[in-house]
Amino acid sequence: MINFTINNQPVTATKGETILQAARKAGFYIPTMCYLEKTTPCASCRLCVVEVNTTDSLVLSCQTQPTQGLEVTLDSERLQRERTNIMRMYDVNHPLECGVCDKSGACDLQNKTLEFNIDSQHFTAKEQPRKTERWGLINYDPSLCILCEKCVHVCNEIIGDDAITLQFGGYKSAVIPKNSDKLDCTFCGECIAVCPVGALVSSDFQYQANTWELSPVPATCAHCSAGCSLTYEVKHTSIATGNEERIYRVTNNFEYATLCGAGRFGFDYDVQASKDTVAFEKAVSALRNAKAIRFSSIITNEEALILQNLKEKLGLKLFNEEARAYQMFMQAYASISGKSASSGTLDAIAQSDAIIVLGGRIATDNPGVRYAMTTAARHNGAKIIYMHPLEDTLLQNVVTQFVKYEAGSEEGVMAMLAKTLLADADLSDEIREFFNELDEGYLCAESNAGDEEFARIEKSLRRMKRKTLIIGSDVLTHERAQNIARLAALVEAYADFSLVIVPVNVNTVGVSLVCDLDQDENSAEVVGYNANGDFVIGAMCESDLTVPAMNGQEGTVVSMNHQLLPTNVAIGFEGYCLNDLANALGLRRLNTIDYTAQLPKTKGFKAIAFDKVGNFYGALGEDNRGYRLETLDVPVNGALEEIAELPEFNGTVVYRCNPVNQFNIYTAHTTQLERDAALRGSAQFAAAARIGNGDRVEVQSNGNIEMRTFVLDESLKGTIALSPTFDEKFGAMNERYRFEKIKIMRVGS
Amino acid sequence: MHVEPFTDRNVSEQSAYYYVDIEEYPVTGWDKFKQVVKRSLKGELFIGLWIVMREMIKFDIHTVKYPMEKLPIGPRYRAVHKLLRLWESGFERCIGCGLCEKICISDCIRMDTRIDENSRKEVTEYSINLGRCIFCGYCAEVCPELAIVHGERYENASQQRAHFVIKDDMLTPLDLLVSGQQKDYPGFGSITPHEDERVAKTPLAY
Repeated sequence: MINFTINNQPVTATKGETILQAARKAGFYIPTMCYLEKTTPCASCRLCVVEVNTTDSLVLSCQTQPTQGLEVTLDSERLQRERTNIMRMYDVNHPLECGVCDKSGACDLQNKTLEFNIDSQHFTAKEQPRKTERWGLINYDPSLCILCEKCVHVCNEIIGDDAITLQFGGYKSAVIPKNSDKLDCTFCGECIAVCPVGALVSSDFQYQANTWELSPVPATCAHCSAGCSLTYEVKHTSIATGNEERIYRVTNNFEYATLCGAGRFGFDYDVQASKDTVAFEKAVSALRNAKAIRFSSIITNEEALILQNLKEKLGLKLFNEEARAYQMFMQAYASISGKSASSGTLDAIAQSDAIIVLGGRIATDNPGVRYAMTTAARHNGAKIIYMHPLEDTLLQNVVTQFVKYEAGSEEGVMAMLAKTLLADADLSDEIREFFNELDEGYLCAESNAGDEEFARIEKSLRRMKRKTLIIGSDVLTHERAQNIARLAALVEAYADFSLVIVPVNVNTVGVSLVCDLDQDENSAEVVGYNANGDFVIGAMCESDLTVPAMNGQEGTVVSMNHQLLPTNVAIGFEGYCLNDLANALGLRRLNTIDYTAQLPKTKGFKAIAFDKVGNFYGALGEDNRGYRLETLDVPVNGALEEIAELPEFNGTVVYRCNPVNQFNIYTAHTTQLERDAALRGSAQFAAAARIGNGDRVEVQSNGNIEMRTFVLDESLKGTIALSPTFDEKFGAMNERYRFEKIKIMRVGS
Repeated sequence: MHVEPFTDRNVSEQSAYYYVDIEEYPVTGWDKFKQVVKRSLKGELFIGLWIVMREMIKFDIHTVKYPMEKLPIGPRYRAVHKLLRLWESGFERCIGCGLCEKICISDCIRMDTRIDENSRKEVTEYSINLGRCIFCGYCAEVCPELAIVHGERYENASQQRAHFVIKDDMLTPLDLLVSGQQKDYPGFGSITPHEDERVAKTPLAY
């Protein structure tokens, strides 16, 4: 604790806090233009200057830490003059196009210009020729840019794309793509979010609406398990174009949260339907006669609870293999750890100084984890060890050690990793015996991850304090997933790791907690709820009965952090929803959200009504979104199993993984996101499969036949090709182990 | 018409006001009968008829033959809106800033905008719901480009309660602009006189 004074009032700061942070916490106002809480200070605007008693010169409060007894002055005539002059400089030749600028009304420059009462231009500079850039989803207007560098910092420190940089040249300076003419990045759009002026804008949104006309709807992103906070901004169109509500854009609280491109640009997957009584009656009778309901995890907890109640009432079975895989993984985990949920969260990842990722193409599977890892790497210099059969170019900036293993050998790799990490741990004799008896030679040879790799991991983690193990979704569907879960639980318990398990879908966790799932028997008379079945009830136009999509309904989801997050209706839905069906079948609730308080307390939920659940960040970044589920104690009754023989994946193997910003059938239906559904493979794969770039190929796997275009990707190595799943109907591919032996046939080019 | 004498509301010998000499109302039945007979036989009815006929024969008629004729209205009258074009280029004045949409107190203005091929903001649709519009004139007053003004069309009879004017109805057609028939108004929402003298010029180094 450091005690100092601001404007003669006593203020305390914790160690590492800057004057600005301490001042804001104490309720003092210091103007800034370039400050962003989640990045290191840009220190480019110099608006946050303060006077201190230890030096005559002005001090930047955003990057200076207070010392004991420091006397800080925030408002003197000298400071006011300094700041006013800075604002005058910012306004030199700034185009007077507030009338059309997208940022007008929510513009930092506008606000500060009015705050400092700048009504005329005192300085002059020769205007430079500046060309508007069009970078795909992002447009950049350098004449509006004030060079605050927020975008550059966030791209480098949080996102990890490192795609933009500042071209220095005095008054000619501008933001340019790094090492390339065209912007080549994952299009997360975070640069748009942090831009304080209208220089970086969404090309789809540009000139579409004004900020003050849009009504914000706080919600939760429905595309992956990170459950990021976002705000749908909704407005009606004009009378001539139908007078309908439409989502114009998505924004986020960029000061404390981050959003990926799918969340930001993939918002228009809402469906519309009228009250079709014929289809409704058919759906009711289909449910009445059904033996089972197959459903996806892209639903709310309330819908999951309705399905569970229907199961109990009608004696149905519930099929959801993807959530069941997670459920079984967590059961196995709990049987060793004695806790119902693992300790790790995205925040824990961001604060780590050592991270191990096992089994998952994490950068595209879950961008939230990627951003947390980038933050850890940039802010804490974290060591990041990525273990996977395929290298990922998106992670090459942050990964310090890549460990390649053979597809299918995750159990062996996990066992070796656990042995390495638990070398000095205080284990029971039984477990120690288990590790001593591991056939290291066989495991290393078959998994292709050598001794020296594990030795290097051991060495680089030796002095690390905050360590995180991230288990990707490859592992969840692995045949030996449960034994891997037990090993992971040991690592968490004895090697002082926090453990993060990355489920596939937005509410995999919630569904696994709310529903009793049965093994999918592929039987007849199955009603699909957002999934395949004989009668399909889904949020897609081609369903037998259309129900609202995730952005058309209110409810809650449980994110990978085991946090209950509310989401709200962006676009109203006129048709029927699952609650109407349930009411017709004898359950009695007026609204779907009446189930929120009924969520099972035995699984850690709280009896809090939907309307009492918050969905916002506080002014200082306090997370007021929903609540964290209680972690329950469960009996420890599990035991490690022998490591099974490692399976071999020879021949033509594909890995099911989606391109950047694509996750599922909903993202596939949005207009802005790129839909690259090609099979991507290296030259080595092409030679082995005897296909070439641009060929139409038929991919046969496990009874499925898909037609795809093959694209030769120079950035890939090895013999495994990447096959997307997002364009599959209802993403059935999530249920199986992601590496798969296939037959591939060239059918044309 | 000279109105000054009427401002003095005190009734006196000097003022323009005076008491009208009103007869006592008949009270009894007999009196009422006498009044009816008197009025019926006096021929007062024909006086009015005679005046009408006299004026008809003189052909000195002051009646405005609406709807064939309309009285001119003042420039500040707030009738149905118009969207104007720039005199020089014929481009639309409206830049789509949305201030009219924002200020509209009856929330009846809606617009669609987009980025056009020249990277300019283009207003693709613009509509005013006249069923809600109260003709307050705020939209014209707030418009920074003098694009939306109140025109002269005051007939709003419609078969439905909500009647819309859309962009095509309001925008000056190009041929009328070329023939000089677009009207700028000196009144509501227009530039105040001597505006040039109040503008400070931006310093230029070159």
